Amino acid sequence: MAEKINKFYEGVKVGYVGFVLFFAFVPLFIMVVVSFKSNDQFLQNPWFFDSPDTWKWENWAVAWDTVNGYIANSIFVSFTGTIVTLVIVLMCSYAIARFNFPGKNIIFYLVMATMFLPGTVAALVTLFNLLMNLGLVNSLWALVVMASVGGQVAGVFILRNFIEDIPKELFESTQIDGGGHFAQIRHIVLPLSASIISVTCIMDFLGSWNQVILPLLLLRDDALLTIPVGLFRLDGEYVKQYGELMAGYAISSVPLLVIFLFSMKFFVKGLAAGAVKG
Amino acid sequence: METQQTSQQLNRARQRAKLFQKSKLYLSLYLLVLPTTLSLLVFSYYPKIDVVIMSFFRWEPPSVEEYIGFGNFIRAFKDPQFWASFKLVGILLVANLLKLWPGILAAIALHRLASDKLRYFFQVCFVVPMIIPGMVFLLIWKSFYEPEFGLVNRFLNMTGLMNVLDWLDTAMPAIAEKLNPVFDGVVNPVFGGVGAIVLLGAIIITLGFRKERDPARFGDFLWILIGSLLIPVFGLTGLSGAAEGWIGLLVLAVVWMVFGSRRMPGTWVIWPFIILAGTLVFWGGGLWRLPIILLVGMAVFEWVRAKRDFFTGNPLMSYIGLGIITVGSLLIIFGSIWTTPIEQFADGKPAWLGNKDLVIPAILFWGFPWVGTVGVLIYLSGLQNISEDIYEAARLDGVTPLGMIFRIELPLIMTQVRINIIFMTINTLVAYEIFFILLGVDGGPGNKGLVPGLYMFQSAFVDGQFGYACALGMVLFVIILLLTIINQKFVKVDK
Repeated sequence: MAEKINKFYEGVKVGYVGFVLFFAFVPLFIMVVVSFKSNDQFLQNPWFFDSPDTWKWENWAVAWDTVNGYIANSIFVSFTGTIVTLVIVLMCSYAIARFNFPGKNIIFYLVMATMFLPGTVAALVTLFNLLMNLGLVNSLWALVVMASVGGQVAGVFILRNFIEDIPKELFESTQIDGGGHFAQIRHIVLPLSASIISVTCIMDFLGSWNQVILPLLLLRDDALLTIPVGLFRLDGEYVKQYGELMAGYAISSVPLLVIFLFSMKFFVKGLAAGAVKG
Repeated sequence: METQQTSQQLNRARQRAKLFQKSKLYLSLYLLVLPTTLSLLVFSYYPKIDVVIMSFFRWEPPSVEEYIGFGNFIRAFKDPQFWASFKLVGILLVANLLKLWPGILAAIALHRLASDKLRYFFQVCFVVPMIIPGMVFLLIWKSFYEPEFGLVNRFLNMTGLMNVLDWLDTAMPAIAEKLNPVFDGVVNPVFGGVGAIVLLGAIIITLGFRKERDPARFGDFLWILIGSLLIPVFGLTGLSGAAEGWIGLLVLAVVWMVFGSRRMPGTWVIWPFIILAGTLVFWGGGLWRLPIILLVGMAVFEWVRAKRDFFTGNPLMSYIGLGIITVGSLLIIFGSIWTTPIEQFADGKPAWLGNKDLVIPAILFWGFPWVGTVGVLIYLSGLQNISEDIYEAARLDGVTPLGMIFRIELPLIMTQVRINIIFMTINTLVAYEIFFILLGVDGGPGNKGLVPGLYMFQSAFVDGQFGYACALGMVLFVIILLLTIINQKFVKVDK
């Protein structure tokens, strides 16, 4: 940036960012540390590893036993929810960004307004009532539906901007080749905005993966619980075993970690490129 | 002749074909947007509209469902817990506004790093913490606050800050004691409360925005005063008992607002808020003070503007207003917050989440250093759009690196900041999850952490009064909507 690099200012900047990042990573670190401890060990030394031979691997075993019944549910909800969201969002933002048709603006504002018209808890009450009348209470599909409803808004907002920037000729060339709407989405939109799509997808996935309150309210059967709710129930038990709890959370964030590692490049690029054009 | 006819027919056929194609295209487009529209209408709009409807019902499923008009709202306004929860959320809102800064600064620091590689590394680092389940963050911060072994207490004991707190525990109430005569002798008789001082400051600043000083201003003043009198007059005439009275008030308020916005474009949006805030401050007996305070503010305006024009008068009025607000805030900080010893610090083990006086400070400190990693990346994307020329020009003008924060970076990422402020406001007002998980459904000791969202949750899912929860939701919703409008208008974006 500047011609001369001022060592002192650089130091201050790095120091500040490092300080902020330190606090951002503390929870992650402690989650791992505590997952190897019994409650007594946690009380004595909560901030760092004990010597490896006193590590309590049982925590992970117990946590696995608790979690593994719920994993399938969580994966089902998050995957289906994300895919449904993606399909719907692509269709909608493609139509809005590429064509002019009567009522287009109304629909766009209808979508946008939901961002600024927050559902207060009261809306949760009526939503619960609605889902009950639709027979969706105590069903994983309710979560899928709600995940796709929630994820759409930001998705349409971001993708519309992106598709508008794609040159019209590209679409027309596909059209001349006889491709319909879906072919255009598949051959033009998907490859050209892959990074931004992956960002929104990951965000949706993350959102529904870590969702607590809605599944807590909607799910009754133990067999249907998602991971966070299952762990939340564990949290409410009489004697709280922090180690098992943390091991459970660590297990539940492993899939996210894997996804992140694979898409990190997309992610950083996508965020910088304008996932948040504002 | 015949050829003409055929060509006409041909044209018509062509048009029909075109129309057919167009309608086919439209149909396919509508089919494409149908899923989004339908799902949003059913699962997002319908519940919200249902809230509006059900707020007029006494609704206690599964058995009771009867129409009671404005009963829920009247009950809400008489409910001390409702007011307490809004006071808390006001505090949180101000605190969160201050908490935006560390994130902005982090983004700027990151943006200005000389080494691109280092910046990329840090950027990746900012992404990783997103995978931590929100619950872990909550549980870990909860463990920080544990009295016996929590990091907060350990840190305070280690650095000796605990002794400082212990000393403050006797010193602050002593100061409050000394300030008591000021409150009894000056503040309460004259202003009716400390909140009124802050309000006066806000009124003066708002009036300072007025550019012209023409005769029309007296009409505007009168209109504002009428607005401030609506509720007291309404209370005096004894209409508050009947539903018709409330509808009448609502209609009057809407009429007042419509005409006001016609008369005074621009800063008008603030006035309904000042009236609302004044009503809250003076609720319970002192409502007649509100017009008087407005008159005082107007007198200050007249006095300043009689001597200065807008360009020198506006800053002067801002300074007067800010000065008054500062005095009021200091009085609040030293006179009303820490009035009795908490008596928790002497043994070095204060129970941050278990003591009714410590819950709010603990919540305010929550999440230190208050940097949302996503927020930083959002600001960063805005910063990266700033062209190098601007920096160059500023450097030639001799702007210091610190000055550039305010002259260049902050103004140019205002779009992102504004969006963040809007979402922060909405989140603050709506959020209840962390209070629910942290403090339990009753909001911790003494219900101190009962934010409006949690209160709604409690009324609905614990007490089973769904209708009442809907009415609370309506009130909250209206406030959010107004705040969003203010944000849009007043957080300026210069492009």
